[in-house]
Amino acid sequence: MTRKAQVLASVLALTVSMTALAACSSNNKNNGASPGGSQSPSGSASADAGSSGGKDTITALLPPVSSGFQDRFEQISKDFNAKYPNLTLKIEPASWEDMTQKLDTQVNAGSPPDIAFIGSDGISKYLQQGMLMDITDAVDSNTYDDFDQAPIAYMKKGEGLYGFPAYMEVHALGGNRQFLEDAGIDWKKVQKEGWTFDEFREAIHKGVVKDGDVTKRYGFVFANSGVTSRDYLNILIKNAGMPSAFTTDLKYAYTSKNFLEVLKDVRLLIDDGSMPKELGSIDAGKRWNMFLTGQTMITGKGLATFENSANKNNEKIDANDGSAVKGSIKVDYIVLPVPTFLGQPPMSSTVVDGYVTFRGKKEPTPEHKANIVKAAYFLASGQVAATTNNELFAAHITQSGRKAAESMTVNRNPDNVAAVETLLSHASPARPDIPVELGAKSIKLEDEVIIPKMQALLANEIKPEDMYEAVKAAAIKTFGEDGVVKD
Amino acid sequence: MALYRKHNGRRSARTVRNAAIVLVLLLFAAATLFPIYFMIISSFGDPVEAAAMSYSLWPDKVSFASYKFFMDFSPHSLRWIGNSAIVAASVMITNVVFASLAGYAFSRVRFKGRSVLFSMLLVAMMVPYQVTQVPLYILIVNTFQIQNTYGALILPGVVTVYNIFLAKQFMSTIPGEILECAKVEGCNQLQIYFRIVLPLSKTVLAVMAILTFMDSWNTFFWPFLVTNTMDMQTIQVGLKNFRFANTTYFSPMMAGATISALPMFVLFFSLQKYFLEGVTVGAVKG
Amino acid sequence: MAITQTVSSGKKRRIRGDGAWGYAFIAVALLGYALFTAYPVISAFFISFQEYKPLGSEYVGFDNYSATFRDPLFWKSIRNTIVYTILTVPVALALSFAIAILILPLKKRLQTTFKAIYYLPVVASGVAMSVVWLWIFDPLPAGIFNRLISIVGAPNQNWLGASGTAMFSLVIMAWLSSHGASIIIYLAALLGVDESYYEAADLDGATFLQKLWHIVIPFLKPTTLFLLVTGVIGSFQVFQNAYLMTGGGPDNATTMVGLLIFNNAFKYFEYGKAAAQSLVLALLIAGISMFQFKFLGKDVEY
Repeated sequence: MTRKAQVLASVLALTVSMTALAACSSNNKNNGASPGGSQSPSGSASADAGSSGGKDTITALLPPVSSGFQDRFEQISKDFNAKYPNLTLKIEPASWEDMTQKLDTQVNAGSPPDIAFIGSDGISKYLQQGMLMDITDAVDSNTYDDFDQAPIAYMKKGEGLYGFPAYMEVHALGGNRQFLEDAGIDWKKVQKEGWTFDEFREAIHKGVVKDGDVTKRYGFVFANSGVTSRDYLNILIKNAGMPSAFTTDLKYAYTSKNFLEVLKDVRLLIDDGSMPKELGSIDAGKRWNMFLTGQTMITGKGLATFENSANKNNEKIDANDGSAVKGSIKVDYIVLPVPTFLGQPPMSSTVVDGYVTFRGKKEPTPEHKANIVKAAYFLASGQVAATTNNELFAAHITQSGRKAAESMTVNRNPDNVAAVETLLSHASPARPDIPVELGAKSIKLEDEVIIPKMQALLANEIKPEDMYEAVKAAAIKTFGEDGVVKD
Repeated sequence: MALYRKHNGRRSARTVRNAAIVLVLLLFAAATLFPIYFMIISSFGDPVEAAAMSYSLWPDKVSFASYKFFMDFSPHSLRWIGNSAIVAASVMITNVVFASLAGYAFSRVRFKGRSVLFSMLLVAMMVPYQVTQVPLYILIVNTFQIQNTYGALILPGVVTVYNIFLAKQFMSTIPGEILECAKVEGCNQLQIYFRIVLPLSKTVLAVMAILTFMDSWNTFFWPFLVTNTMDMQTIQVGLKNFRFANTTYFSPMMAGATISALPMFVLFFSLQKYFLEGVTVGAVKG
Repeated sequence: MAITQTVSSGKKRRIRGDGAWGYAFIAVALLGYALFTAYPVISAFFISFQEYKPLGSEYVGFDNYSATFRDPLFWKSIRNTIVYTILTVPVALALSFAIAILILPLKKRLQTTFKAIYYLPVVASGVAMSVVWLWIFDPLPAGIFNRLISIVGAPNQNWLGASGTAMFSLVIMAWLSSHGASIIIYLAALLGVDESYYEAADLDGATFLQKLWHIVIPFLKPTTLFLLVTGVIGSFQVFQNAYLMTGGGPDNATTMVGLLIFNNAFKYFEYGKAAAQSLVLALLIAGISMFQFKFLGKDVEY
C-alpha cells in the first residue's frame, strides 16, 4: 500500500514537472501557431472558412464614450446585423481607465479585439508592437471621403491608416460668465481674438477674491494631480511655438528656450496668488467641484461637454430638490481659448479618439479585414456617430454624421459653438511623419522626466531653470546633440 | 483568558482595566472605520455625478435612490453578485481543503525535497503579478480557450501559496508528541490529518476561509481580463462600469460597494464562533 | 529556507514511509501551482532575455538586466520601496499584535464587535477607499488632515503633492488601514495557546509581561514569521496605493518598484525589461526572506 502510494506520488510529481516544461515550451515555439490568433476565436475561425459573404464575428472593446453610449450597444449590434446579416458585432464594454490595461494585456498576449476605441496618440505604441492592422487597401474612396481630412489624418502613421476617428475635440478652458463679467473681462472678444499670456495673467488676477489672508476664489484652477499635469503643460506649450514634441525636421522641440519661458510663467501664475499653491494635487473632480461652487473663475482643461454638465447642475439648483452639487451656484459655462506665449500663433491642443483596428498573431484574411472595416465605419459614421457626438457636444466630423444629426436638437450656447469652431480652425495638425520609435522615446521621456519635474515645479520644490536643464539633459541623452532643437 | 490576571475578588480593578482597553481600541477603531462610515453615508446620497460629492461628515438626507439606481443600472446587477459568490465560494473551498493538506505535509510530514519544494513555492510568490499576468492570460485564453467561463475565474486561485504558508505555520505549533502518539497507535498520515490535525486547526481554517473568500470577492483585474460579456462579470467588474467618461456616479458606486461588502459581514458573523473559540490541544485531549 | 523543524532527528526513523503521503497531500496544490504560478514565472524568466513582441520576440541576452541596473529610476524606486517597507511593515505588525492582545481580556460580545470593526476596512472596495483617502489628504484647507493640524496651529500641508510629505502620507494610510487580516490571524494564533502554560506560569508567580515574553511571543513566532514574510512581499510589490493616490509623483518621490514594473510592461511595452526587473525584485525579496527565516525560524517548537 505504501509502495503503491509512493509510485503514485512520483508519477504525480513527474506529471507536474512535465506540465511545467510542456507549458513553457509551447509558449516559446508555438507563437505562430497558437490558436488564439485573432481575438475572437469564433471570429477568426469563421473568417478562415469565409468566402465573401461568409459568416464572421467582429469584436470591439469600447469604453463609455458618452453617457448613453454603452446603453446603446445592444441596439448598435442589432442594427449592424440588420445591415450585414452575415456579420455579428460583439461589443465588450469597459470603463475608461480599465480598458487600456485590458487592451494592453491582450496586445501583449497577441490576441487583441478587432476594434478598440482609443486615443489616436496610442497608435504608435501599438504599431510598434506590430499589432495594428493597416486598412488602407480595404477602405474605398466613398468611405474615406466621408471623413473630414484633419481628423482622419490623426489615424495615420507613415503611409498606413489604422482606423476611423470618432470625434475631434479641443482642450480649451472654461469660464464662469458672471465672474468674468465682474472682473471686467470681455469674454466675447477673447473667444474671437484669443489672448496673450500677459492679458491672461492680468485677467485671472482680477478674478481672485480674498477674505483677509484666505483666498475665497481663485482666478484659474487646472487639474494637475498625478498624470493630468501632462495636459496642463501640453496645452500651454502648443501656444508657445511647439505644436508637437518634434519639429518638422524631427528634432526634439522641448529643449527650446520658449519651453523655459512657459515654465517660468507657470510659476508666475501660482506666485501671483491667482492659482492655488497646492495645484499639483488638485484632480479633475476637485477642480470641477471648485468651478461649480464658485471657488474659481476659470478652470481647465475644458471640454465642450462641460457646458452640458454645468447646465444640468443649473437645472437641479432650479428644481431645488437637494440633488445639485452641494454649495454650488448657477454657472453659465463659457468656452475660452488658452493664452498664447511670446507672440506665437494660437494652436489648439487637439484630441482625436477613434475606432482603431487591430490584428492578431495570424495574418487576417482579406474578408475578415473588410468586415472589420465595415464595423469600424458603422461605428464611426452616420447615426451612431451623430448620437454620440451630440451627447458629447462634440462637432461632427463625417458627412453622414452631420446628415443624421440634422434632425437632432442640442441646447448649446451659440457663442460657445462659434468659439469651438474658431479653436478648431487652428487645431494642431496631425503628425503621421513622426517615426514610431521617436514617438515612443518622447513619451517615455515625458513620463519619466517631464511629468515628475513638473510636479516638483508646481510644488515649488525646484526652479523653472532646474526643470528645463533636467529635460534638456535627458533629451540630449535620448536623442543626441543633433536630435534636439537649439536656439 | 489567563494571560491576564483574573483579579479575582477585585471586580473594580478589572472593570477599570477593561474600560481603559476599550477606550484605546475605540480610538483606533474610529480611525479605521472612518472610510467605511463615509462609504455608507455617501451611498444614501442621490445618484449624481462625482463633483457632487458633498464631503460632509453627516448625511444631508437619506435616500435609497442610489441602491435602486444600482439595481436598475444593468439587468445583470444581481447576477454579478451571484457570479462573485460562486467564484469566491469555490476558491474558498478548494483552498481550505488543498492548502491545509499541503500545509500539513510541508510542516509535519517528512518527505524528500520538502524544503526545496516549499522554497520554490515561496519564491514564485515573490514575482510581481504585473509580469506573470500576461503568460497566465495566454495560458487561459489562448491555450485552454476557457475565457468567459467560471473555470477561467476559479482555476488560477485554486490553491494559493499564501494559504499553504499560513496553514504550515499554524500546524507547526501543534505539539509533536500528539502526532507521535497517534503514529504509535497505528494511525496513518491520512487518519492523523483527519482525526487530530483538522480538529486542532479549526481556527486557522476559519481564518483562511474568510480571508480567501474576501480576497476573491474583491479581486477586480483578473475577472475583468477574462470575462467579455456582462452576464459573466463579477460584482467588482460590474461596479467599475459606474465610472463614466469624465464623471463617476458616486453614490451608486458607494451603494454598490456597500452591497458588495454585505456577504462578507454575513460570512464573518457565521464563522465567528470558530474565531472566538480557539481550539487548543488541552480542549481536544480532554 | 524551511522553518527549522525541531521534531528532533531522533524521531526521524519512526516517521519513515510517510514520503508517499507527503507527495499525495501536496499533489493538487503542486499541480495548481505548476500550471498557474510556476509556468507564468518560468515564462517571465525566458521573456526577461528577450525584446518581447507578441509576433515574435528577439533574444537579447542580458541587455534587459544591464539596462535595469544602469537605470537611476530603478534604484530610486528600490530605495522608495525599502523606505516604505521599513516604515510600514514592522509598525503594522506591532499594531496588530498590540490590538490582538488588548482584545483578549474582553467579554466575548465585545471581542466580536472589535474584531468585526478592525476587519471591516478590508471588505470595502479599494476604489471607494481611495476616494475617501484623497479627501483626507485634500491639499486645500477643507481637507480632513489639514483641518486637524490647523487645530494645533500647523500650516496647511500639500500632503500628496509635495516630495517631503507624499511618502509619509502613503505610510500613514498604510498604518491606519489594512491590518484587518493580521489582527485576525494573530487572534487565531493567540487562541491556540494552551491554558496549561499560563497556569504553570501563574504557579511560578509570573507577571503579565513575563507571560507575554516567555509564553505568548515564542508561541506566536511562526505567525509573526508568516506575517512578516508575506507583509514584506506585499510591501515590495505595492502598486495600487501609489498608482491611485500619487501616480508615483511628485518628482518620483513615491515611485515604487511595483509601479515602475507596471509602467514598463504596459505603458511602454518593454515587457522584457519589466520581466527582468521583476526577477531582480524577486531575488531581493527572497534574500530578505531568507534572512527572516534564519532569524525567526529557529526554536519554533517547544
